[in-house]
This record gives sequence, C-alpha cells and structure tokens, in this order.
Amino acid sequence: MDYQVTVIGSGPGGYVAAIRCAQLGFKTAIIEKYDTLGGTCLNVGCIPSKALLDSTEHFHNAAHTFKEHGVDINEPKPNLTQMIKRKGEVVKSNVDGIAFLMKKNKIDVHIGLGSFLDKNTIQVTAKDGKAKKITTEKVIIATGSKPTPLPFAPLDKKRIISSTEALELKEIPKHLIIIGGGVIGMELGSVYARIGSKVSVVEFLDSIIPTMDGTMGKELLKSSKKLGMDFYLGHKVTALENKGKEVALTAEDKSGKKLELKGDYCLVSIGRRPYTDGLGLDKVGIETVKGQIPVDDHLKTKVDNIYAIGDVVRGAMLAHKAEEEGVLVAEQMAGQKPHINYNLIPGVVYTWPEVASVGQTEEQLKQSGRAYKVGNFPYKALGRARASMDLDGLVKILADANTDEILGAHIIGARAADMIAAGVVAMEYRASAEDVSRMSHAHPTYMEAFKEACLSATANRPIHM
Amino acid sequence: MATQVKVPTVGESITEVTIANWLKNDGDVVKMDEVIAELESDKATFELTAPINGVLRIKKQKGDAVPIGDLICEIDESGSGQVSAPTPKTESKAVAASSGAAPKATGAVKEMKVPAVGESITEVTISTWMKKDGDFVALDEVIAEVESDKATFELPAEANGILRIVAQEKTTLPIGGLICKIEVMDGAPAKAAAPAVSAASSSSDKNYAAGHPSPAAAKILDEKGIAASNVSGSGPGGRITKEDAAKAQAGAPAKAESKPTAASAPVIPGSRTLRKEKMTSLRKTIARRLVAVKNETAMLTTFNEVDMKPVMDLRSKYKDKFKEKYGVGLGFMSFFTKAVCIALREWPAVNAQIQGDEIVYSDFCDVSVAVSTPKGLVVPVIRNAESMSFDQIEAEIARLAARGRDGKLSIEEMTGGTFTITNGGVFGSMLSTPIINAPQSAILGMHNIVERPVVKDGQIVARPIMYLALSYDHRIVDGRESVSFLVRVKELLEDPSRLILEI
Repeated sequence: MDYQVTVIGSGPGGYVAAIRCAQLGFKTAIIEKYDTLGGTCLNVGCIPSKALLDSTEHFHNAAHTFKEHGVDINEPKPNLTQMIKRKGEVVKSNVDGIAFLMKKNKIDVHIGLGSFLDKNTIQVTAKDGKAKKITTEKVIIATGSKPTPLPFAPLDKKRIISSTEALELKEIPKHLIIIGGGVIGMELGSVYARIGSKVSVVEFLDSIIPTMDGTMGKELLKSSKKLGMDFYLGHKVTALENKGKEVALTAEDKSGKKLELKGDYCLVSIGRRPYTDGLGLDKVGIETVKGQIPVDDHLKTKVDNIYAIGDVVRGAMLAHKAEEEGVLVAEQMAGQKPHINYNLIPGVVYTWPEVASVGQTEEQLKQSGRAYKVGNFPYKALGRARASMDLDGLVKILADANTDEILGAHIIGARAADMIAAGVVAMEYRASAEDVSRMSHAHPTYMEAFKEACLSATANRPIHM
Repeated sequence: MATQVKVPTVGESITEVTIANWLKNDGDVVKMDEVIAELESDKATFELTAPINGVLRIKKQKGDAVPIGDLICEIDESGSGQVSAPTPKTESKAVAASSGAAPKATGAVKEMKVPAVGESITEVTISTWMKKDGDFVALDEVIAEVESDKATFELPAEANGILRIVAQEKTTLPIGGLICKIEVMDGAPAKAAAPAVSAASSSSDKNYAAGHPSPAAAKILDEKGIAASNVSGSGPGGRITKEDAAKAQAGAPAKAESKPTAASAPVIPGSRTLRKEKMTSLRKTIARRLVAVKNETAMLTTFNEVDMKPVMDLRSKYKDKFKEKYGVGLGFMSFFTKAVCIALREWPAVNAQIQGDEIVYSDFCDVSVAVSTPKGLVVPVIRNAESMSFDQIEAEIARLAARGRDGKLSIEEMTGGTFTITNGGVFGSMLSTPIINAPQSAILGMHNIVERPVVKDGQIVARPIMYLALSYDHRIVDGRESVSFLVRVKELLEDPSRLILEI
C-alpha cells in the first residue's frame, strides 16, 4: 500500500483530517480536484465572503458613520474591482498556507479527480487526462457540497448565479434578487446592499435564517431592512428567466398572489447538496441517500476502511463541523475515542450585526416541553456598544427552569461570531446561567451583554437594565 | 421586612434538629400560626409554625440538620402581592414541579453492615466519611471510604435517605459490623429540585451536572472504558475534570496523545478485556500446598553444576542398543534417579521428613518425578528407585508420564515419595529454586544443558553444563548434608562408572 490514509477533498474537513492523521503517525495523502487546496471554504465560501463582507462594511462605515465619529472625508466610492482583487489575495495566502501545512506534515498532495477503483485503490485523473493509481489502507471522503440549483432554472452563471459567481462579479448589481434568506443569501445580500445595490430577498418560509432561534431572524430582518434590503417572505418562486440583460422572477405568496421582480442578477441560495460526482462510489458499493453518504456514529461508511466527513454526510454543512469530524476519524483510526457534541456546534451568520447561535432554540425547547427561562440583554444598554455605535442586537440565553443550566445561547450583534465560543465552553461544561454571571467579564466589552443575559435568565436581575 | 425564623429550643439535651418536611414551598404565602414545617430531633417530631403573616423564604432544605437557634427560614411581611409579580412565570412552574418530587420518609431504616470484601479479610477500618451524619444520601452514592489490610474501597449507600452514622472514622469493625443506618425516604433530596431560594444559592446547591465529564475527560474515560458514573468528579458541582479522568485508571497504561512532534508514535489500539475462569480443584490444591510449604518450612536452595559430557557420551554410545534391548529410550532421568538414590543413602537426612515431633528416616528411596500435564503439575512416585535398574526406571517414568498426561494417575501413585526430582530444563530453564514437595525435605532441580566455557586441566574448553539446584528444609537438613549431597550427585554424574560401583 502506498498510504495508510488517503483523504479525498482538501476542504476544512479533508485537510484537517489529513493533518491529524499525519500527527498521529499515519502515512497520509490528500487528493484535490481543483488546482488550489482548501475546498469551498477557502476558495469560494467562508474566507472570500468574509473578505468582501469586511471591505463593504468598511465602505458602509465610511459612508454612514464616519461623519458622526468625526471623520470627514469626501464622499467614498466603492471599488468592486479592488475589493475582489483583495479578496483574491486573501484567498491565495490562505490556500498557500494549507499547501505549507501539507508540506510541513509530510502529506503527499495529488491534484486531480479522485475516483475509487476498489476499496483500496484510487485513481487520480489530472486535468490533462493523465491518470495514476494510488493504493491506501484507509480512505476519508471529504468531497463537500455544491450549491443547489432551482429545478426549473439552471444556474447559467451569468445572470442566474450561485454564491461562487457572486464573489466574482465584475459590476455592482443595480438590483440583485436573492432566492433564499438563509445564511449565504443574507451574507451576500448585505455585501451588495452596502455598496449600493437594491437587494430583494425572496424566501419560501415566513422568516429569514429559519433554522436559528426566531428572535435572531426577527432582529436580523429589522437591521437588514435598515440597510435597505427588501424582503418577500412566504413566497414561492415559480419561474426564473435570464432575458439577456436582466432576469425576471415570478413568485406567489400563500394566497396565490403573484409577485414579479426584475433585476440584473439573481443569486440562487436555496441550499447546498452533497457532492460525490465522479467519486466512483459504485465501485465500492456505497449508495448515497438523498445525496448523502450514509455513515455510522463513527463516521464509517458501510465499507470497513472508508470513512466520510463534512458536507457529504448528515448534519450541518459547516466548516468547523467538518473539521471536528476530520479529527474524530483520524483519532479513531489511532484507537482513540473522541467525541463530538453535535448539539454544541455553533452556527454563525456574518452579516453586520453578526448572528451566532449554539445549543437549543426557544422553538426547540417549546416543542420538547422542557421548562425553560429566557434572559435577554440588548446591546443598546451596553457601554461598549454605544462607544462603537453598534447598538443593534441582543444576547438571548435560554436556561433550564429547574437547574438553571444553559440550554441555548443566541447572539445578534457586533462580534457575535467570536462571542459564541463562550457559550460553547459554558455548555460543554454544563454551566448554569448563574455560573457564567458570577464570572468576571472585562469592562467595557460586548461580552458583558452575555453575562447580563445570564443574570437575566438566572433570576431576572440584570444590572444595567 | 423579613422576620427570621430560628430553630426553637425543644428540649434540654437536644442540640440540633432535622427538617423532616416543608409543608409550604418557598415563595408561598403563609399565615401566622400556620404549620410550615415538620422538624425532628432524635427524641421526637414537632411542628414549626409561622410567627407572622407573609411570604416564606426557605433557608434550610429538607433533610438538613440545623443546630438550635440557627436560621431556618424567613417570612417576608412586605405583602404577598409583590412577590409573584417579578417572578417569571417559568420559575413558578419550577416550584410546582419540585414540590411534587419532595422526598417522603417511609419509616423504614436500612442498616448498612461491613460487606465481606475478601476471603482472608476479617475486619475493616472506616477511613473517611464522605457524608455527614444527617445528610441526605442517594442510593449508590459513595458515603464512606473503608480500608482493609489489603485495599481501600468505597462504600455506596444502600438506600435513599438520611444518613445516621454509627461507626465513626478510624473505627475498626468486623465483617458484618454495623456501619451506619439510613432512614429510608422516597424521592430525591429536596435541595436538588428546590427552586431558587435566592439567586445566590441556586447554583451552588445544585448538582444536575455532577458526574458530567468535560470534553477531554469524556474522551479519556471512553478510551479507558470507564463509565462516567464510576468516576467521582472533583470539579465545580461534581463535574469530572480531565485530571479526574486521567486518575480514574491509575496503573493502566497511559494513552497519552502523541504530540505533533512525536508523530511517529500512534496510539496502538488493543483489547483490554479480562477473562475469568474458575480455578480447578487441582489448581487450588497446588496453590494451597505450595504456599503452605513456603510458609511452614525453612526452605533454601544450594546450587552446583554438572559437566554432562560423560553422561551424554555414554548415552549416545548405547542409546540404540538400550532401546533395542529394553524397548524404552535411555534418557537422562535414569542417570539422575540412580545418582540421587546413591546420594540419598549416604545423606539420609535429605531423604527424611518431619512428622510431628519426630524425624522419619526411610531406608528406601521413593523418588517423585514432577510431570507437567494439561491440568497442571503432578508428581507421581517411582517406588524403591534405589533397587531399580536403568531400564526399569525409564520404563516406570514413561508409564507414569503417560498416565499423567491422560489424567489417569491414581492418588496412590502420587503419594508417599521421599524425594523429588523436577526438570525445568525441558522448558529451557537455566536456573531455578524449586519448592519442596511437602512433606518431603528436599527437591532436586534439573535445568537445561548449555555449552559453557569451563576450565579443565588449565585449559578453557566448551562443555555441556547443567546447573543443579537443591532446595531443602533447613529444619532437618543442614548445609553440610545438603551441599555434600549435591556434590555427590555431581560426582556420580560426571563419572558414570561410579554409578555402577556406587563409589
């Protein structure tokens, strides 16, 4: 055998799995179809979108808050070309970093499409058609996911686009229509709304970011409307057509009332689907279910030496979930017994204000019938937020009514994405809301809102309210 | 305004009371003279009444032992209406839920006695009480640490209820001795489920997270195959810390995670199952007798070495003819048996044994030969070996060995030897100190034959050497006799012609 472990796919699940395997002493290889490592996350997902979100947020502040802060400048103009160029540099330095990590950990990188010939042999076919075979004792499938197109309107990548194209636009759309008010739609919608696009979000459900706690969706809706975004909730898209210079969308609400929208671009962000094309799963007898590769609790497929992690398996399609799974599989192969608490994988939306969430939502608690307490604390009451003018947002803590154990933490506001880690730590240790409220939190910080929300949940006694 | 309610003086010799039951819940509106709790002392049970109208604020929970004069609750006069308003709805739900789970005394008392902890252990000492007298203890909760002369073990509660300690720390109790009593109660302790009395006390009392391992602790425990329920947590609220998990298996190989820098050492997966098998009665007999010999004799061992070349030369020269004539192979055992018999007659103490206050000398040599069988070691006897010829000895050994392998040896065939020969050499032993086959007084240990450099006539030559060991009972065999015996065996073997002439 050439390798003890071969990882197919170099996204955050795959490359982390490979590094952990190498750390544990396995002779490891990684196969990547594209020319650069890092997968969706680094190339066309998390990292580039954050680069554009940060650039456009700077522009937004220059245009709207600098004056009040006492910074007088000439009217700023967005330079999308430069923004996208800078984004490209951010991506490049990140993917180069992964290449360095592969080298450092002595992981062999094979560029080309990996397909199974049998359970121990993988053919890697490069773009020029040259193929080589590698043999391996174990395989980790980490091939990730692709944007889901609408069944009646394929992505033409010109006017009807996915998130990948939305990160590479040559012009600022005059009117960007977004189908799907989930994480991707909201993030990219706010990118273009900040630099002057009219943005219309058409969402089938009655709320945006519907998988998160209801309060988060409501608050985000409020601040997104402030940004000038239009929302058409409870609307089902019935037709979408590229008419050359514009796209035409037809939708209807529950009562059957028609909505017609015309824009120059339409971003389809209705979800992502597991990606296993060309992997040759049939050669090893694995059948996907709804596109996903079925795995057991140890992320093992039905074939004894083949594991699968990340977006191709069940669970949230999140980079950090895939990373944890990569580590778990590697350590298992070494005979260790790691855990993943899937209930405590945080979810983040990088709008501004940011939204971050971990644990159970109020809706889930209501459904389960568990007695709970709610503690809210608004950013408005926070000295730190006043200083920075980031007054939108709140922290919402859900705790068990009897034991005071924190069951869910939901934050919308400045730095929510970084703050949620405190919720994860507290909940991994099963802290009570009072435990957190008795821990010293530095002043002035946004995290004080977390402590105050805990005080509020414990006995409804926040200090600054 | 809150009025403090303290434990009243209830009798001369009573210094503390236990709260048997709260009849009202925290936050309830109580009227003056209404009975709010039942208290019990070691003498009697009595009722506690509210001194004023107001809202009850419970300070001591059911099951708590409270000294006379200590605060038990407060009654807030400042109006009942005010109280429920700021309380969130969910909290009042919690109150209702917990009152249903309040424990009830069943009247039964469970006596906990020292369990039988090991065959030879007759008494134990209470080393530490983990729970105080009057504490509420849950079934299977560890309440004390007990130590015997062999080990320390934990004592789990045999019932839910109030602990009444009988044996104090450092007390030594016989097996079956009374350790403590538990006043059995139904339900969980009030304090675990009680609603937040005040925000300050709400989390410190609660133990919903007791036994919850941290992420790293969970991984360690799983790898060790230890259930979290078997580990007592030292973290806040009884949480299991990484250190708790790491200590949970003192002695087992640490599966330390290999650092990135030490990437060459992956953790090796391996089974760690234990297999238990009943000891056969033969094994038990062997075990008992060997230990008895060690304990009851003054055993020691003397060593010597034999140049086996003469015996080997003789054997290789005649083994074919021997086999042809007698139908049995010429082994080393017949040489050793013959040599031993000659030496035994010269040093009769080695062939003797103690019976009570007497020493019994035998003028015959019944030589026991240790034979390994699938069921264990057996030691059949070659009777009157001193009168036997080489071929008779070989034939008898072959017969006994075959019967031993088949498990057919009779007790008769295995009893009554006067001296034993054991050959660890067949398994490759270089040197050993055999244990005497009681009630005999000595045993000869044979070992493997190895070419060793020896000095002969001033020249270093390679010779096949066997080390010999003679373990003997110093009570009746002196050093002179044992050493001379072994030297004699050596002389006879190094010059086999002396075996014939017996000189």
